Amino acid sequence: MSDKIVIETKKVSRVFKTGSIEVHALTDVDLEIKEGEFVAIMGASGSGKSTLLNILGCLDKPTSGDYYLDNVHVNKLNKNQLADIRNQKLGFVFQSYNLLSRTTALDNVELPLVYDRTGRFSNPKERAKNALEEVGLGNRTNHKSNELSGGEKQRVAIARALVNDPALILSDEATGNLDSRASIDVAELYVKLNDEGKTIVMITHEPEIAQFAKRMIYLRDGRVLTDEPIKNRSTKESALKDLGLTD
Amino acid sequence: MRQLFKTFKVAFQAINKNKTRSLLTMLGIIIGVAAVIMTISAGEGATKEIRDQISGLGTNLLMIYPKTEHRAGAHVRLGRPIVKKDFDILQKNAVWISKLSPLVVSGAQAVGQDGYKYTPIYGVSHEYFDILSRGIALGNAFKEDDVKAARKVCVIGETLRQELFSGVDPIGRKLRIDKIPFTIVGLLEESGKGTMGQDQDEIFIAPYTTIQNRLAGYRRGYDMIMASAISEDHIADAKIEITELLRESHKILEGDEEDFEITTQIELQKITGNITGILTILLGAIASISLIVGGIGIMNIMLVSVTERTREIGTRLAIGARESDILTQFLIEAIALSLAGGLVGVALGILGNQVIYKLTDFFIPTAPYSILIGFGFAALVGIAFGYFPARKAAKLNPIDALRYE
Repeated sequence: MSDKIVIETKKVSRVFKTGSIEVHALTDVDLEIKEGEFVAIMGASGSGKSTLLNILGCLDKPTSGDYYLDNVHVNKLNKNQLADIRNQKLGFVFQSYNLLSRTTALDNVELPLVYDRTGRFSNPKERAKNALEEVGLGNRTNHKSNELSGGEKQRVAIARALVNDPALILSDEATGNLDSRASIDVAELYVKLNDEGKTIVMITHEPEIAQFAKRMIYLRDGRVLTDEPIKNRSTKESALKDLGLTD
Repeated sequence: MRQLFKTFKVAFQAINKNKTRSLLTMLGIIIGVAAVIMTISAGEGATKEIRDQISGLGTNLLMIYPKTEHRAGAHVRLGRPIVKKDFDILQKNAVWISKLSPLVVSGAQAVGQDGYKYTPIYGVSHEYFDILSRGIALGNAFKEDDVKAARKVCVIGETLRQELFSGVDPIGRKLRIDKIPFTIVGLLEESGKGTMGQDQDEIFIAPYTTIQNRLAGYRRGYDMIMASAISEDHIADAKIEITELLRESHKILEGDEEDFEITTQIELQKITGNITGILTILLGAIASISLIVGGIGIMNIMLVSVTERTREIGTRLAIGARESDILTQFLIEAIALSLAGGLVGVALGILGNQVIYKLTDFFIPTAPYSILIGFGFAALVGIAFGYFPARKAAKLNPIDALRYE
C-alpha cells in the first residue's frame, strides 16, 4: 500500500436546515483513506452514511470542515469544477444501477467519457470495451441494459465506474438489489479490483459484504463510532459456505 | 466544440430511443408548418388570380361613373348623371382615349325556346368588346350601325345558351326580354367564375341605345362609361383629360368637387392587392397559432421527458456532466424535433398545395417566403419552448435526481 492519501476530511460537518429545525447529519468527521485501501462504511439508517458518501462523491459540500480529494481542496470548487472532478477522479456505483435504459452495455460504460473535457483518452470505445472485459462482460458489450440480469447490470455499472481511471470508486449499497450469490460476485469483483490497486469506498448495511473489505468504519448519529481493520476477511468461498450456498 | 458534437450525439440517441413519442411531438409542428405554408400560399394564389383577372379586363381600362353616396341604406347620386352629351364630348375631344362605351345595367327575365332565366342586362356600344377584350365564340358582336339604329340584337353568355336553348347554336334565334324579341348575333367566349364568385357567363349584352329605348329609360343616364387609354403609359393622362372635359361639361366651378369618379385598372389592382394582402396576413397569423400550439406540445413532452428521465439526468450529473451539458442536450432534442417537424411540414405543405390544385383547380404557387416563415417559426418555437424544460433538467439536484423513483 502506498502512502498517497486519496481522501482526507478534517472536522467535516453537515447540517440540514428545514425551517427552524437543524439536523446534524454529520459531526466532526475526520477520515484519511490512502491509495489502495478498501473501506466499508456501515451504520444504521440515519447514521449519516449517505450524507458522507454525497460529500466524498463531490455531490454535496460540507457545512464546515475541509475535504481534500486526491489533494484537491473540494470546498473551494464551483459547480462546473465539481462536475469535472467527479468526471476525472471518481467512479460511482449505485444501488439501482442507474444505467441508461434501452442502451447497450458499451454505450453505458462509455458515458463518463462523453463528458471528459481533458481529452486524455484517445479511444473511448476501446476503453469501454476493456472495462467490460475487466468485469467479465466482454461477451455482453452489445446487449441492451434491459436484456441483462441484475448482477450483470451492476457489473456494467462497475465497468462504467472504472472507465475513467478514477482515483476512487464509491459504491452506494451496490448489493442492495441483488440476491446473495450476485452480491458475493460483486464483492469479489471489488476485491479483485482492489488487488489491482483500485481504492474503493463501499457503503453497505450487509455485514457479510462489508467483511470483504480491509477496513471498516462504523457510523452512528453522524459520528465515527469505530474505525478498524478487518481481521478475518471473507473470500468468495467462505462467504458462500457461510450462506450454505456451496455447490 | 468537440463537447458540443458529443452532446449532439447524445441528444439524437435520446430521440431515436423514443421514436413514437418523438413522432407524435413533431406532429404539432408538422401540421403547424404545413398550415402556415398552405394558407400563405393560398393567399398569394388568390392575390395572383385576382390580379390576373383584373388585368384580363384590359390594363388600359378607365371607368367613369357618377359619384354616389350611401343615404339611408341606398345609393344616392350626387350631382348630374352621366349622359349622352358627356359621352359625345369625350368621343369628340379626348385624345388619350382610343375606345369608349357607355354601360347601362339592368336585369330582366329572358325567355328562350327551351327555358327562361333572370339575367343581368348590359347595354353597351360595339367598342365594349374591345375595351374588355371579351372574345366572341360564335357569330359576331353587334356593329356600330346596330347601336346607332338601336336594333334589337344581342350577344349572350354560355349560361344563357344552356338555360334558354339547351346548348344548341343560338345564332339567329330569338329570345324575349320583357316581351321584346331580340335576335342573337353572337355568343361570348366562356370566362367562368369571376373574382367574387359570380357567373360571368350569365349575361345578356345589347346596344345601349336599345336598352335605353326599351328597358332602362334615359332619365338616370349611364351607369358608367368605360374607356380604353391609347396605351398603358397614358392612363394618367387620360384620367386628367377626362376629368377636365367632364368638369366643363357638368359646369363644375373651379375649386368645387367633381360629381363623378374615375377608377383605373391600376387603382383597382392596388385596392384588391391590399385586401388580399391583409387576408394573407390574417390567414398566416391564424396558422401561426397552430405552430405555437405545436410548440407548447413540444414543451409538454419535454417536461414529461425531463421528469421521466430524472434518474438518467442525475446519473449524468453524477458522472461528470456539467449543467450546460444537460441544458444543451435537452435544447438540442427540442430544436431537432421542431426542425425535423418543420422539414416534414414543408414537404406536407407543398404536397397539400398540389392536392388542392388537383382537386379544385385552384392553383396555389408555393410561395418561397412561406417556407422560410414556416421553417424559421418552427426553429424559433423549438428554442423558445425547449429552453424551459431544458433549464429545469439542468437545474436538478443530482443527489435527489439519483434517487428519484
